[in-house]
Amino acid sequence: MWNGPLEKIGEYRYQIPRTYRGIKGNLRMRVPAIIYASPEMLESIKKDNAPEQAANVATLPGIVGKSMAMPDIHWGYGFPIGGVAATDAEEGVISPGGVGFDINCGVRLVRTNLTVNDLSKDKIRQLVDELFKNVPSGVGSKARVRLNMAEIDEVLQMGARWAVEKGYGWDEDLDYLEENGCMEVADASLVSEKAKERGKSQVGSLGAGNHFLEIQRVAEVYDEEAAKAYGIKKDQIVVMIHTGSRGCGHQICSDYLRVFENAVRKYNISLPDRQLACAPVKSREGENYFRAMACAANFAWANRQMIVHWVRQSFENVLKVEAEEMGMHIVYDVCHNIAKLEEHVVDGEQKMLYVHRKGATRSFGPGRKEVPAKYRNVGQPVLIPGDMGTESYLLKGTDASEETFGSTCHGAGRVMSRQQAKRRWNGREIARMLESKGIYAHAASWSVMAEESPDAYKDVSSVVNTTHGAGLSLKVAKMRPLGVVKG
Amino acid sequence: MYKIIEHTADVGIEARGKNLEEAFEEAARGMFSIITDGGKIDSKVERRVEIPSEDDEEMLLVDWLSELLYINDVENLVFGDFDVKIGKKLIGFAYGEEYSREKHGYGVEIKAVTYHMLEIKRDKKGVVIKVLFDI
Repeated sequence: MWNGPLEKIGEYRYQIPRTYRGIKGNLRMRVPAIIYASPEMLESIKKDNAPEQAANVATLPGIVGKSMAMPDIHWGYGFPIGGVAATDAEEGVISPGGVGFDINCGVRLVRTNLTVNDLSKDKIRQLVDELFKNVPSGVGSKARVRLNMAEIDEVLQMGARWAVEKGYGWDEDLDYLEENGCMEVADASLVSEKAKERGKSQVGSLGAGNHFLEIQRVAEVYDEEAAKAYGIKKDQIVVMIHTGSRGCGHQICSDYLRVFENAVRKYNISLPDRQLACAPVKSREGENYFRAMACAANFAWANRQMIVHWVRQSFENVLKVEAEEMGMHIVYDVCHNIAKLEEHVVDGEQKMLYVHRKGATRSFGPGRKEVPAKYRNVGQPVLIPGDMGTESYLLKGTDASEETFGSTCHGAGRVMSRQQAKRRWNGREIARMLESKGIYAHAASWSVMAEESPDAYKDVSSVVNTTHGAGLSLKVAKMRPLGVVKG
Repeated sequence: MYKIIEHTADVGIEARGKNLEEAFEEAARGMFSIITDGGKIDSKVERRVEIPSEDDEEMLLVDWLSELLYINDVENLVFGDFDVKIGKKLIGFAYGEEYSREKHGYGVEIKAVTYHMLEIKRDKKGVVIKVLFDI
């Protein structure tokens, strides 16, 4: 149980004062830390040591504003999951631990013009089984295509565009992805052979853990105007994809953590936790990491792009209608493990910052040039996956989120270890429980079903309601699953 | 000898050996028991791993386990037996076979070996290692 000071400074806002670690010394907090939470959530947040981690992040050289934690904060390696930290683009540091191992783990939402009435229970079952067949999933899942070294370099440089050029998807898809599915700073020469070797056989695979593919129905619309802009209506069928950069991204993170272990010594940086390893953004190590991280991000966008293609194909195979005719357009694609170089206002001045989002989602308001033209009047779509069997949300970004450098929550947040969950439930029971709620699940393993059982997570609705109440992102629609594919 | 330790979002192992080399072997065995859910692994193939031990023991441990994870991911192999020698460099042999969901069981996909709470301690009985994995 964490017992440090938390001062309420506003609705849904609790602050760890800058003086918490004293006012002198290398391990002092350079800025305050803020946790966005409802009073009810505070207890569970204090239960693991995540607030201490938010305070640790506040000691990083060049951190700007506050060390921030979203309502789904939970303990992570170094940085808490649900953590946001922006550092000065000249004098700050960059940290692989502020991004996480699964670089550009993210979510993509595809809409259709089908409604609940168009799909019988039997059709849902067929669709889920077809998706399970077409999208490789599970521990160590391998993709259906194996790339050579030259091709993997192209994936790392080009991201989703590589996939579209190879016939996986439509040209318009790229307009509806964060960064248009490619961070241009990527430099594949800074990625190890090992990361490429792991990536070669995994582009176009879902993986395991909390990653999933869901057929959902729009259960509720809160904001008609924004929903209309995003092409969303009540009772519509949509598909959500949640996955990241697989072994390729894990390897890139591991490789650079190794480099940064030495960089910390080289640049004489004092840290309260080894896993916060960082390097100055202008150092060779810092710049190389950022460019290699961008490669992993691109890999993840190509990965989700290929999966979208197979989702469309699966719908075509089962329903015998062309994907175009079913209006299977991408609503949007967000990353929730990433560092980005972005322009923000700090003390009334425009500044370039490296914004680390580890288990946090970009939430840009109307008017920002990064938001697709079609959505620019309402703000960027924010996709918040629930966990298996619970609801997911579509939100919109706000200008008020400038307070968090355009960031909001990313999901539910664990409250129970996977082993605990596995002991408490058995996967088949979970499948039956889902079935009784009208959800059909197809998992690579029953133990994954138990580990990822909904009760092992915080309630996603309370997380979303908190960011809504705090104004960081506003609710547009709620989706409920009809069918689930689990790794 | 090893046992599995738990953490909210993650999992780790505590491994014990008479000396550092045996503790490294046990740590590797523990890691694969998490990946496979404890199914028996036969020694049908051998892989040799060589790591320069220029930095501290803790980094050497992370490198050793990370290398095995890499082989696991790329070659789809799981290992149940190890032979480690540590001198100017670490030379390790891993014995195992191709992963089969039916035979070995289905555990957890380990994303990476972490430095968090990483410990290598010595006591009267030998060496104890604590290491956490990101899953």
